[in-house]
Amino acid sequence: MSHQNLEEALKAAKNPVEMLRNSQIGPYAFPVVPSEFTNWRDEQRSWRETCALFDQSHHMTDLYVEGPDALKVFSALGINTFNNFRVDTAKQFVACNHDGYVIGDAILFHLAPNSFVLVGRPPALNWVQYNVETGGYNARAERDERSFVNTGTRRVYRYQVQGPNAKKVMEKVTGKPVPDIKFFHMDTFDIAGCKVRALRHGMVGQPGWEIFGPRADGDRVRDAIVEAGREFGIRKVGARTYPTSTLESGWIPSPLPAVYTGERTKPYREWLKGTSYEATASLGGSFVAKNIESYYLTPYDLGYGGFVRFDHDFVGRAALEKIAKKPKRQKVTLVWNGDDVDKVFSRLFHAGKFSKYIDLPLANYATLSFDKVVKGGKPIGFSMYTGYSFNERSMLSLAVVDVKHAKPGTKVAVVWGEDGGGTKKPTVERHNQATIRATVQPAPYGETARTAYRPK
Amino acid sequence: MAAHNLSAVLKAHGNAVKLLRNSKIGMYVYPVVAAEFSNWRNEQVAWRKSAVLFDQTHHMDELIVEGPDAAAFLEHVAINSFANFDLNRAKHFVPVTPAGHVIGDMIIFREREDKFVLVGRAPTANWVKFQQATAKWNVRLTHDPRSDSRPDGRAIYRTHYRFQIQGPEANKIFDKINGGPVPDVKFFHVDWIKIGSRRVQALRHGMAGAPGLEVWGPYADKHYIQSTILEAAREVGVDLHLVGTRAYSTNTLESGWIPSPLPAIYTGGGMLQEYRDWLGADSYEAIGSIGGSLATDDIEEYYVNPFELGYGFYIGWKTDFIGKDALTKLKDANNRKKVTLEWNRDDLLKVVASSFEEGVPYKWIDFPQPNYASTNADVLLSGNKPAGISMFNGYSFNERCMLSLAVVNDDVQIGDQLTLVWGEPQTTGKTSTEPHRQAEIRVRVSPTPYAREARESYAASWRTKGG
Repeated sequence: MSHQNLEEALKAAKNPVEMLRNSQIGPYAFPVVPSEFTNWRDEQRSWRETCALFDQSHHMTDLYVEGPDALKVFSALGINTFNNFRVDTAKQFVACNHDGYVIGDAILFHLAPNSFVLVGRPPALNWVQYNVETGGYNARAERDERSFVNTGTRRVYRYQVQGPNAKKVMEKVTGKPVPDIKFFHMDTFDIAGCKVRALRHGMVGQPGWEIFGPRADGDRVRDAIVEAGREFGIRKVGARTYPTSTLESGWIPSPLPAVYTGERTKPYREWLKGTSYEATASLGGSFVAKNIESYYLTPYDLGYGGFVRFDHDFVGRAALEKIAKKPKRQKVTLVWNGDDVDKVFSRLFHAGKFSKYIDLPLANYATLSFDKVVKGGKPIGFSMYTGYSFNERSMLSLAVVDVKHAKPGTKVAVVWGEDGGGTKKPTVERHNQATIRATVQPAPYGETARTAYRPK
Repeated sequence: MAAHNLSAVLKAHGNAVKLLRNSKIGMYVYPVVAAEFSNWRNEQVAWRKSAVLFDQTHHMDELIVEGPDAAAFLEHVAINSFANFDLNRAKHFVPVTPAGHVIGDMIIFREREDKFVLVGRAPTANWVKFQQATAKWNVRLTHDPRSDSRPDGRAIYRTHYRFQIQGPEANKIFDKINGGPVPDVKFFHVDWIKIGSRRVQALRHGMAGAPGLEVWGPYADKHYIQSTILEAAREVGVDLHLVGTRAYSTNTLESGWIPSPLPAIYTGGGMLQEYRDWLGADSYEAIGSIGGSLATDDIEEYYVNPFELGYGFYIGWKTDFIGKDALTKLKDANNRKKVTLEWNRDDLLKVVASSFEEGVPYKWIDFPQPNYASTNADVLLSGNKPAGISMFNGYSFNERCMLSLAVVNDDVQIGDQLTLVWGEPQTTGKTSTEPHRQAEIRVRVSPTPYAREARESYAASWRTKGG
């Protein structure tokens, strides 16, 4: 069943699309953290109204890259600029294949001279690790696996404090005014006698901090934050709620890694294990194409056009130089029509025909979601991350659509559910497809995120 | 000084209802086990159509009672008759207060003449421990509380693993793991079977109304047992589904057992006062929550008696047990009765739809398990008059229906339409409730157990006959 590497798995499968669409792995895991601490409605409200504490210690992989050539590796792979990438700053690292399609993105922290950590879903990390190990660099890479596949304990804890009261909470727990550091810059704080690294962040569009430190300090630091945050209405956010925050902040966590085709990435596919994310990920949704390349996206499609800098040589540069001239697609938020969502729910109470269940608050049922977005019956893009926002009282999805249909207010429809009654994924019950009307809105959608706080 | 027992906690809060309705404990958690293995719809279908594996290792307390007086002691504590309690049998153990109200229930296994194992929610285990601590029985207890609700990555250890294999095709798996036909044991009897290289005890059960086995053994064997069962199912071609915690608790809607009566120990003097002094400030009784539209100052309105829960026929009238006098009087009273309620879909959809509209929504109904407290109590009305309490909710994909288990006035008939008041009248301190308004949901009174298989083909179950 299990193959030595991705290339072998692909050879054994008829088609990469078929392989991924029938993966048995389930949706992307948000492990260890309880599903709800209180209830997901109030947990969602907390990042908009008071303060939220996210525990991100478990669902992302960390790749530590160290050595004199460490920065060279990132620069050779990343679309981003690395001029002035100083210690104590971070950036959203985006890597593409040779044709300019996104392999993955992750947050890159410059921890110390020649010392970096890349944090996120595995695809970007795998690509970097492969290049460190095979590219003849004077650097080494060490993985700290996400808890889903980690047989020991994690090296660090990682929390985020977010929301309008985040600043007050941080001031209380550190006992001093928070320094006025810039977005994606880091500082060192003292919390409950523990030294913590803090990154100025704003995942849901409000000023906030991501803090991390040795795993052994994790409970102590968290408990201190919760205690300090009590008077400011802090809520711990559970695993059911956490992934929905991005619906308001507009980041698409799940592009399909563009590594399944092309001779130039063949050695990489041979390096990727048969148990890797790329070999086991599940692909779900109404968009079905024979060619896996139909799922590939450019940085421009995903809203990362602003990150692209042709100030250095990197994999995919030549292709991106062409694409840059006329980006085809744009990232948007789709606001789903409530009546049409109600109709899907009504199928819960009728014998026979069933619509694919919409789980609230996170409706994704695969590692990689691709639902067809149509206008006048014609495909215009993909809806890629779906859930419910209690703050907006709406189902929202993050989508990539043709530029000409990306104007706010455009009426489109999402085809919800899979064709032919559904694939063999364990997360899929037999169902019929439903068409749900939706309105195009900007990404990020959250009012504050949209107007006051736009990360660069 | 922090309260050190339930009495002090109650004194500090003034009123038991106020304490429990404002509990900060959150939802009643089924810990450690994954929320979903495949998806909760297919997991529910599997117990009706193929087979399921329930992992019951973590959510229940286990209490071992052993010693020369074990049988006499337990018979004194519970309403059950032990007359036919042979070795290798199990029963549904129900203790009541001296006033005849239910404290809780556990499954009790007789492993030896002088050794019993009880499995279930904490209130019964606590009560048994108290009875042993305050009288001179020659028995010894070992208590293994359930797993931490939110272990947050810390390792979890239990004394035993506990699995159930259930469903119409479960038999094929039993024969495979046992390397031959499993002994033809009667319902709620225990025998030894083989699972791979291990000999394990197996209880004939049928939680979902279809034949099944419950097996248990040392916690260290858990992984081996689970993988052996899954592999056997694959080999015999049975579509066995592991059931996650989201689907698990809804199983009882189809089989008709109410898991969450409020332990009726918050009032009464004498033994009950002593019990409240004995119970810790961190006990289930002190930190549990009450949720629902029933909001009264009188905690006794949340109590139920064994007749109301359908346990009247368990009572061993020939022995002396705590609460016997009270039950003797209650026996011929107009007791309420247990029923299943089918919720009206249009009213439900109105509640769901409010989540997609501006303004304060109705209380969110989580699928498949809408409960939001350790003990649920929703008001039932017939016209404008109180008609009973709805006590445990759950959606059944098999029935395409939201169901709840309720106790209703004895004049309520199957087929009657009642109104269930969904949501709380005013905001409480519970962390499991968002700001919401109340909705009225029409419900139709139906039999318990609701599932036709459970009702008809498995009529000789402990739920309907012989405890």
